[in-house]
Amino acid sequence: MTAMEMSAGAAKRRGAGGWRWSGRIFLVLLLGFTVMPMIWMFITSLKTGFAAMQYPPQWWPAEPTLENYWRLVDPSGTVGRDFIQYFWNSIWVSTLTTILAVVVAVPAAYAFSRFRFPGRSFLFFAVLLRNMFPAVVFLVPLFILMKALGLVNTHGSLILTYLTFGLPLAIWLLKGFYDNIPVQLEQAARIDGATRFQAFFLIVMPLSTPGIIATSIYSFIGAWNEYIYAYTFLTRHDQMTLPVGIQRFFSENATDWPGLMAATFMMSIPVVVLFLVLQRYFVRALTEGAVKH
Amino acid sequence: MWNSRFDYLYVAPAILVMLIVIGYPIYYTIELSFFNTPASLALSAKQFNGLDNYATILTSPIFWKVTWQTVVWTVVSTFFAFVLGLGAALALHREFVGRGFLRALLLIPWVVSAVAASYVWKWLYHSDFGAISAMLSGLGLIDRPINFIDNTSTSLYALIVVNVWKEFSFAMIMLMAGLQTVPDTLLRAAQVDGASPWQRFWHVTFPHLSGVSMVTLLLLAVQNFNSFIIPWIMTGGGPAGSSDIWITHIYQLAFGRQRWGVASAYAVILFIVMMVLGYFYVRALTKGDDARAGA
Repeated sequence: MTAMEMSAGAAKRRGAGGWRWSGRIFLVLLLGFTVMPMIWMFITSLKTGFAAMQYPPQWWPAEPTLENYWRLVDPSGTVGRDFIQYFWNSIWVSTLTTILAVVVAVPAAYAFSRFRFPGRSFLFFAVLLRNMFPAVVFLVPLFILMKALGLVNTHGSLILTYLTFGLPLAIWLLKGFYDNIPVQLEQAARIDGATRFQAFFLIVMPLSTPGIIATSIYSFIGAWNEYIYAYTFLTRHDQMTLPVGIQRFFSENATDWPGLMAATFMMSIPVVVLFLVLQRYFVRALTEGAVKH
Repeated sequence: MWNSRFDYLYVAPAILVMLIVIGYPIYYTIELSFFNTPASLALSAKQFNGLDNYATILTSPIFWKVTWQTVVWTVVSTFFAFVLGLGAALALHREFVGRGFLRALLLIPWVVSAVAASYVWKWLYHSDFGAISAMLSGLGLIDRPINFIDNTSTSLYALIVVNVWKEFSFAMIMLMAGLQTVPDTLLRAAQVDGASPWQRFWHVTFPHLSGVSMVTLLLLAVQNFNSFIIPWIMTGGGPAGSSDIWITHIYQLAFGRQRWGVASAYAVILFIVMMVLGYFYVRALTKGDDARAGA
């Protein structure tokens, strides 16, 4: 190797190393940007009201306290009573939405993946297009509909509405999983005498469990975080879900920032934990449809 | 391959739910947009007024101001979310210790509710006790706390930062998945032929990402066009409408001022814009799907 070739090689390696280093620096900066608000949320939640109202702020509270959290979970105080109620409402609405979405989406997704029927592609586009429409297009008529049905201020109104945006996505995610299960497995079962329903229930369903898990988490998180419908349909405190109920910390005379941060932190824990535990399924399902060729 | 009328039974429950909660509202919104409606929602008293609602909207200067702000919000948010997501996806593509953990941390903003995000950023931006002002003055960049969101010239951009924070990781996972489809052999061949890292990215990786980039950009654009929570909670569209975008504006018209007919006409216009975007979205998304459907 001549000297020139060697130096060219070194330059190339240096170039690659430079790229790697700029990648690392970028990641560190991005990580700071990403986690800083979450950390500040937590730190603020450990402060007293007095400690939070200082400038420059105490970057770590001089006297950290869990008082704000105790207040939220103490059922003998009004704040605690309401917060626990919001929490249960959120769990109830999200769970029921998830179950209904999966039960309805499984057969539909399977049909979209396997069957050719007239209108199939139209229906599939309709399913996809629902993802595009802004909530507000549906808000006014659904509000009027819910009023007419006497469902305003009930969880039924939320569950029914959440299905509208939960279902299309659930169908889309599950279809991706069914597409990946070889048709030959069902054909073999059919040859062995299974009905189509048996082939679906005994062969395809067990294989698609990861897809069902992913779809369930997705529905659950979507319902847990939903705000605009809950904000519009619910005015009674005992019915509110967390994202709406939490504003009570805000609207009173002066904002209780540490209390608000403790409440948002508690609200974030279930979805973040659920996501971190099951993220493998989740990420795969979400991106499945987008990258297939 | 299989064909029977029972096939419809599998999709019937889904279709039924969607007809009720999608078909009916769309029909009703279109209908209401041609009526002068009483504030009380006693809709039997509504009066047909033809295209008056549309004329009111299109001749109002507020409409054009809000439209411009919506375009800025959508384009700037989408651009930065995509660029940060692409950078993160490329930096995370190579295997290293802690990669999975890092990816999970970067995804947290996307999982956390927009309500929680809005409140914590509102606190970070606080005009008296805000941590961002404190950090900037700690670095010697400013003398006194800045009022980021209660300021007509900065509010929209302050909210865009929050929005980018919330959704860049969505672009990141989409593009990470896309990167896995780039054949290693091609990259290695380019390396052997002496292509620089930049050339390898631009001539090999990037063309392979075009499909997934298209879908990601469209999804981000649609999502941003439909944003509500961040502006609604952080500023309510203010101050003086400086961070008002379409959805917050429509919400205010309907549920704040009870002008149901005008709000519906707004929703219909928005709906048409979304249909156009939706057409491209479906086309990008189903490319290749029909090929597989034949299998």
